[in-house]
Parts: sequence; C-alpha cells; structure tokens
Amino acid sequence: MNSGLPMADTAQIGVFICHCGGNISNTVDVTEVRDEVAKIDGVRVATTYEYVCSSPGQDLIKEAIKNEGVNRVVVASCSPRMHLETFRRAVEEAGLNPYQLEMANIREQCSWIHNDRLQATEKAADLVRGAVERARHLEPLEPEKMRVNPGVLVVGAGIAGITAALEIADKGYRVHLVDRSPSVGGHMAQLSKTFPTMDCSSCILAPKMVQVAHHPNIKIITLAEPISMSGSPGNYTVTFRKLPRYVDEAKCTACGECVKYCPSRVDSEFEAGLSQRKAIYIPFAQAVPNKYAIDGEHCLYLNKGVCRVCERFCRGKAINFDQKEETLELNVGSIILSTGYEQIDPKIYGNYSYGLHPDIVTNLQYERLMIQGIHRPSDGKPPKKVAFITCVGSRCSGDVGQEYCCKIGCMNAIKEAVLLDKSIPGANPWIFYTDVRAHGKGYEEFYADARNVHNVRFIRGRVAEVMPNGEKITVRAEDTLLGMHVEEEFDLVVLQAALVSPRGLKDIAQIFNVPIGHDGFLLERHHKLRPVDTSRDGIYACGCVLGPKDVRETTLEAMATASKVATFVGKGEILSSPEVARVDSTKCDGCGVCIAICPTKAIEKTDRGVRVNPISCIGCGLCVPQCPTGALDLNHCTEAQLLAQIRGVSSGGTAPKIIAFLERETPYASVDLAGQTRLSYAPNIEIIPVPSVGRIGVKHLLQAFASGADGVALVEGDDGCLQGNALREYVAKLKKAVAPYGIGPSRIMSTSTTIPQYEKLLNFFEMFNKNVTKAGKIPDEMRQKLGKTIEEVST
Amino acid sequence: MKELKVIENSVPDPSFLETVQKFPGGEKITDCIQCGVCGGSCPARAWMDYSPMQVIHMIRHGLKDKVLSTSTIWICASCYACTTRCPRGIDIPILMSNLKRLAMEEKVPAKIRTKPVFHRAFMEVIQKYGRMYEPELFLKVADKRDLLGLFHNASLGFRLMRKGKVGFKPPRVSESSEFLAVLRSRNNNRRDNE
Repeated sequence: MNSGLPMADTAQIGVFICHCGGNISNTVDVTEVRDEVAKIDGVRVATTYEYVCSSPGQDLIKEAIKNEGVNRVVVASCSPRMHLETFRRAVEEAGLNPYQLEMANIREQCSWIHNDRLQATEKAADLVRGAVERARHLEPLEPEKMRVNPGVLVVGAGIAGITAALEIADKGYRVHLVDRSPSVGGHMAQLSKTFPTMDCSSCILAPKMVQVAHHPNIKIITLAEPISMSGSPGNYTVTFRKLPRYVDEAKCTACGECVKYCPSRVDSEFEAGLSQRKAIYIPFAQAVPNKYAIDGEHCLYLNKGVCRVCERFCRGKAINFDQKEETLELNVGSIILSTGYEQIDPKIYGNYSYGLHPDIVTNLQYERLMIQGIHRPSDGKPPKKVAFITCVGSRCSGDVGQEYCCKIGCMNAIKEAVLLDKSIPGANPWIFYTDVRAHGKGYEEFYADARNVHNVRFIRGRVAEVMPNGEKITVRAEDTLLGMHVEEEFDLVVLQAALVSPRGLKDIAQIFNVPIGHDGFLLERHHKLRPVDTSRDGIYACGCVLGPKDVRETTLEAMATASKVATFVGKGEILSSPEVARVDSTKCDGCGVCIAICPTKAIEKTDRGVRVNPISCIGCGLCVPQCPTGALDLNHCTEAQLLAQIRGVSSGGTAPKIIAFLERETPYASVDLAGQTRLSYAPNIEIIPVPSVGRIGVKHLLQAFASGADGVALVEGDDGCLQGNALREYVAKLKKAVAPYGIGPSRIMSTSTTIPQYEKLLNFFEMFNKNVTKAGKIPDEMRQKLGKTIEEVST
Repeated sequence: MKELKVIENSVPDPSFLETVQKFPGGEKITDCIQCGVCGGSCPARAWMDYSPMQVIHMIRHGLKDKVLSTSTIWICASCYACTTRCPRGIDIPILMSNLKRLAMEEKVPAKIRTKPVFHRAFMEVIQKYGRMYEPELFLKVADKRDLLGLFHNASLGFRLMRKGKVGFKPPRVSESSEFLAVLRSRNNNRRDNE
C-alpha cells in the first residue's frame, strides 16, 4: 500500500495561494504570505493566483508538477469541503498521487471572519505554514479493493422483508429470507383490510408470499434467529440458531390430520390470543412454507415424554422428534434488517381496564374479529356501538409511555370504524382521538368519507377511563371542543395500542453492530438523505424496524433498500478509503489495548500481534495515541504529519495562541458555516482538522505547547467517535497527563457540536479565549523545556 | 375599526409563561399536547369554568388575568386523577396550588370567596402549632355572622372528638420549634426570591 517511510528529504513543495477574486486578497496580504512561506525549507514554488480553482489556475499546479519537479502540493484557498476533490483530480491528472495534496483554509477560517489585515495575514501565514510542514510528510496512498459477495441476507419476513427479497431476487441476486416464526408474512397477514383503499390485506400479501416461496433466487429459512456476525462490508458471515420444526418439510402434506389429535392447547399468536391453537400447528391457512410445526415449549412429548399421538396419525410419516437445534452459517455481501414491530400491552395503563373485560380489545384483536366475522368475544353477538380509542401509550413523555406518534392509529381506527359501519347495519362507531393525523395519499379523503358516508362520530379528547359495566363498557372522556363530559356505554372498545420496537431488537443491533435510536428503533444514517442505511456499510433496514409506519411506506422503504443493496453488491468490488490505521508489526507486542478501543471492531488479534481490517476501519485514529509501543499509525494523519502541522501552525501569530483541533466532519463544517455567515471569532484561534478528538494524545498537546500554543481546544462532532461522557473522560485524562509538565487545566477545553450550533461553538471559542488570556502566555523557558522533554520521549 | 382581542378582558403578558414555568408543576406546561385527559378524569370538572387543559393553554398565551380569575384553580381538590393519566407527566395539582398562591399575592378576587380564607387559615394554624388543629381552623373559617351555620357541623365535630380524631387541646409536635423555623425560612426565601 505504501512504503511507510517518510520522504521528507525529497519533498519538493509547491504552494499556490488563491486571491479568490478579492474574497481572500482584500483581507489577507497574499504576497506577504507567499514571501513568508517561500522561505521555508523545501518549498520549490510559491505563487499567488486570482482563482486557483479555475482551469488556468489548475494548469499552474500541473505545470509545476510536470516541469518544476514539485511532488507535494499545498493549495491555500477556500475550505477543503469546497474544492478538495477538484484539486485532487488536478494533481492526479498531472501524475501525482491525490493524497500528496494538502489544503489550507484561509477563506472561511480567515479572510471572511477577520477585518484586521495584519492579524489576518499572520493567521493565514500560520495556516499555510502548517500545511507546508504537513505536506512534507505526505505519502502516496491507494484505496483498498475488495470483492463483494453477491449474496444477500434479509432478516425478518414481513411485508418489508418479502418485498425487499423479491425486488433483489428479480435483479438476479441470491437472497436468504430468514424469519424466527414458522411462516413468512409478519403482521400484515393478520390484518383484515388496509386503509385507505380497503384492499383485503391477505389477498394482496398472499400472492407475494407464494412468489417468495417459488422464486429460484430466494431461499426461505424459518424458525431461525441470528446469533453472531463477523466479516466486513461486502463479506459478512452470519451465524443463525435454527430451531427444530420436528416436522419433515419434505414429507408434510399439510393434511391437518395431526391437529385433530394433538391434546395440548395454547393461545394462538396469529389470532392475537382470541382463540387457541394446538402444540402442532400451522400459523394460518396461507402460511408459507405451508408445513406444520411443533411448538417445542408446549408439546407434551417434548416436555413430559408422553404422547407422540401426532406421529401415530401422520400418514406421511413426517413427524421427526429427533430433529435438534442447529447452527447455520451464511456468507453474504449485504444485509437487510426488517424485523418489524410489536405492540405494547395496554394492561400497563390501568385506566383502560384492558384484561378486565373480554370486550375491551386491541386493534390487532379487532382485526382478527373482523376476519372471523365481527362479534363480541364475550357472547359472540355483533357489537352495535363501538368505541375506538387512539393514542394508547403513544405521544407520552418518556417516563409514561412512547414519545412518538404511532403513525397508523388514527387511520387504523377510521378504517376499523368504517368496516364496522359497512358490516353491521345501523352500527354506531365512535372514535376518541387526540388529533386526527391523516397525512398521506388518499388519507384525508378517507377521513372525510368516514364522517360523511359512514356515520362515524369523532370525539376530540383523550379517554380518561374505560370501565367494565356489566355486559357493557362505559367510556369517559371530555369532549375538549365543547368542554363537556362524554360518558357513554359501548358494546366493544378497541384500543389503538402504541407500536414499539420488537423484542430482541437490542440483540439484533448488537449482533450487526448498528445503532439504536432514542425511540428504541434502529437509527438510520441520515434522517432525510440516507433513510434506509444503517451506520454500517452494506447493512440496510426497512419497515417498522426503523420506526412505526404503514404498509405503503414500508413497501417504499423495502424497494429503496433493494435498490441500495443492488448498487452495493452490483459493483462487484468496493473501494475503501485508504485513510485507515496501520500496524508496524516490528513494534507491535500484541497487548490488545487497541482492540478494546476500536469503535468498529476493525482490529483483530493475530499470532504476530494485531491486524487492522482496512474495510471496517473508519480511520478515527482513537487507537493511535493509546498504543503503548507506538506500533499503530493512521494513514494521511500520521504522527509525523500531525506533529509537523502542529509545529507549523503553532509558531508565529498573535499571543495568546490557541490551537483548535476540530473533528473534520461536523465541527469543521460548523466553523465553515460561521465563516459563510461572516461571524467573527478571535484571530488567535487557529484550526487543525482531525478525524476525531481521540486522535490527539498527550504528545500532540505537549508539541503544541512547546511550539507556541497557549491553549488547546478539542471539539468533537455529536456523531463523532467520542460522545458525551467518553469525551469528557478522555479530555480529563489528557489534562491530568499534561499537568506534571506545568500545563494548567484551564489551557485545555473540549466541547461537542452539531452544524446548526455554530453560534454555540463561537461562544465556546470566546469563553476559552478569555480563560487562556487570563492564564497568560507560556514562558519561553518552559517551552524549551517541553521541547526537550518531547525529544527525550521520542528517542 | 374595532381591535380584535384574544380573549375578552385579557391582555397577553408574555412574561407570565416564564413566571409559571419556574413554579413546581409549571416546568412542563409547554409540553402539554392538549389531549384533554385531565378534564376527562377530573371529578370536580363540572364545577370548574375551564378545564385544566384550557388553563394551561391560557398560560401559554400569557393570559395572566384570565388564568388567575378562573374558578378552576380554586376548585381543584388535588386528587391527582389528572396527573396519573397525563401522557406528558404534568403535575397539575401542584401547578394549581401555585396559581392559587399567585392569585392571592396578586390580590385577584377568587371566584369562590371562602377558598382563599380557608387556605390562609390553614397555613396560619400549621405555622402556629406545626400540625393541624381542626377546632381552631373551623373557628377561623366559619362565618361568624351565621350562628346557625356554626352549629351546622357540630355533630360531626363531636363524633370526631369521640373517636379521638380531633382533640380539645392543640397537638404537640416534638421539635416543633425546629419545624417552625423551617417553615419560616421557607417563607423568607420565597420573599427574597420575589
């Protein structure tokens, strides 16, 4: 990948300083900066130009590379977030490795925010000097290439998983569709109709279930749960625990003879506990695979060693009690998580009296009642007057229930009320709602239809109490629009229970190493722009595992993940950034400190020490300062490069000098944003981007103080590798470590930021600047002493 | 042209919301989603002119005069039915008692005339003995002009005395001086803060 040897002796540096059409040159004396850097050893070309990013500007760089022997390029202009790719392409076209380019941001972080020409020029010179010193140590890097396994794993076979699997299989990739239950189908198979079109749910789902069963590219694996994952994006190995079915799928004809004789009864999950099933069962008539399964927890033979009646009556001799739990290993390139949702048990809220009267049911139970032919569970009579209660456990503060809106409750209640009106003449459906949320195609019209055509009464008010009252049920609430109490008797009460993340999702998240959000569902990588990506490359998620949603939106997401997966595995190979950690195996003693620190588990133990997986490594650099033997380093932010840049930036400028190490994504962008809004901060604050604050160790702090800094700020992004307490603890440790060298704790300060909070960051700068000014300049003798200490430490 | 008023007789006071937010019980009122479960659960709602939900909404609009003159704040019996069901965890009874205190401090006439008298008398008795002494409270609250009314509750009083629930002598609290000092310092603090 690279020689690992610094080529400081041969570096021929070309520096190109941009006027940016006055944007820079009106505030910064660019010729002075040029003259200043031209003096630095190794600078072969130093020039200024009106627009370096223009074609003639880029030609200047290319000519210098081709004709002047320049082999390191420094461009001092706008933010690298603006034109890094432009200049990388330019140097590459001239035959130089793109990683041998360095940029100094003298527009957003200098000319746009300072008015004093002298100070701005001094600061620009510091920043360019830092870039030149760093450029001296730049090494050529090549991205890693890796073959991608074209297989795809889909975990969870509800409508999301089924849709995604079909889409991907149709594109020609092999799909393993895994579910922990004995059949695919998920929650959608339980529903009566779907809003707002009133399509029969199983009529639109069943054909898709049959399709996945017969698709040549799809393999269905039921009764299986993932237990571990290893590997890296493009080459994951997932291990499953496959529970025994105790029925030979090849021999079972689904004749149903066994069920007649099975003596063990349990509540049916599919019927939401409204009826019972046997221990040998098929979840529902359209189940795929359409094969019986024995519920090991409730089978008499498996628990008490007696019975085996099913075996006797099975004509196909399909029963096999010798089946054992197996582990299954799958090698895939990409993974989709679609494990769906669960509903809360309304028993946790006493005021709904759920469980105290058979005619108080959840929405899922009502769906089953609709399919069975609408009746009251208590006496089987058709209910006339039904209360539908929304927001049961939703829209609460965190300690009371779920904070979010369940998103389907309103439309579901309306659908169920309309269905009641359609199926029972003279029915009287009431909906108690907090707010009707009818967003989505055709939803508001459906709501209007419920009022106009279907005789549904809407009461705006959260229900205070549901009370069993003999055969009937009394519901009490306030109609908040009238300020009047409502106390009515109903035949049936339906609770729209809150949707929550499915049980076991935490384990799934841990196995696949993807984050869970505040709401308990999986966290997408970007709420708007990458809504189905998880934080791990090659692992996607769709449907309710990301948060509550309806069937239409779930299908949309499933198709989106299919497209993402096809793009990911379709490339055949992946390039990954070469800005990753590397190990010097001659120094590594295999202590394993780095393995514990690595946030992406990219470091593995080998017999000769450790190995960094370049595909999994995100290049945060947390491991580097913690390595006790100095065996680890980070490409493109090596110790040599970072120390040189710190030396360059720290020398010169106005006292008290502050070096701010900013995580290069969020905080760096925040400061750029401050620059774009022309919000000023003290010119003695100079910025060095780092992959994470955790890349900065004691050595770097000492170097900064030795070379001229009087204060060091550390700013991490709120999605960075060091979060909250971890950041505070890390910085506290750094402060403690530098204290013996006479560096007071007030000289080091840390914070974290999100992009819109650039004002917070500027306040932080102001406060820190005050602290450091108060602490005063570090005396020169102390700096010399520090310098000597660093030399001693490094030798 | 006639100016459109938000609610009659009320001038919005934006600082009112901030004042209430500093009270115990007022911290979360911007979190109210106006679902109405408080009014639906309240056993005394029929006697209130506004639902607690509406009082909270008025606070958010800064309608100070209107809020402090509602009967709702005086009728609240602190039974906590609302708070046990409030999805946002708002402590409505505490909010109501703080609004009562504010109304008394601001000398807003209460819709229920006897209520402030009762509350003041209650605290006076507590501050005197460190515990409740019902006969004295009764004498403080009772309408002296209505002699018949004085005997209206007499039989209840005798029954309570017979069971030892109410004594002839004021109750004694051990370390009462310390307890009263706590009460006094609390009052002083409040005065200092305001």
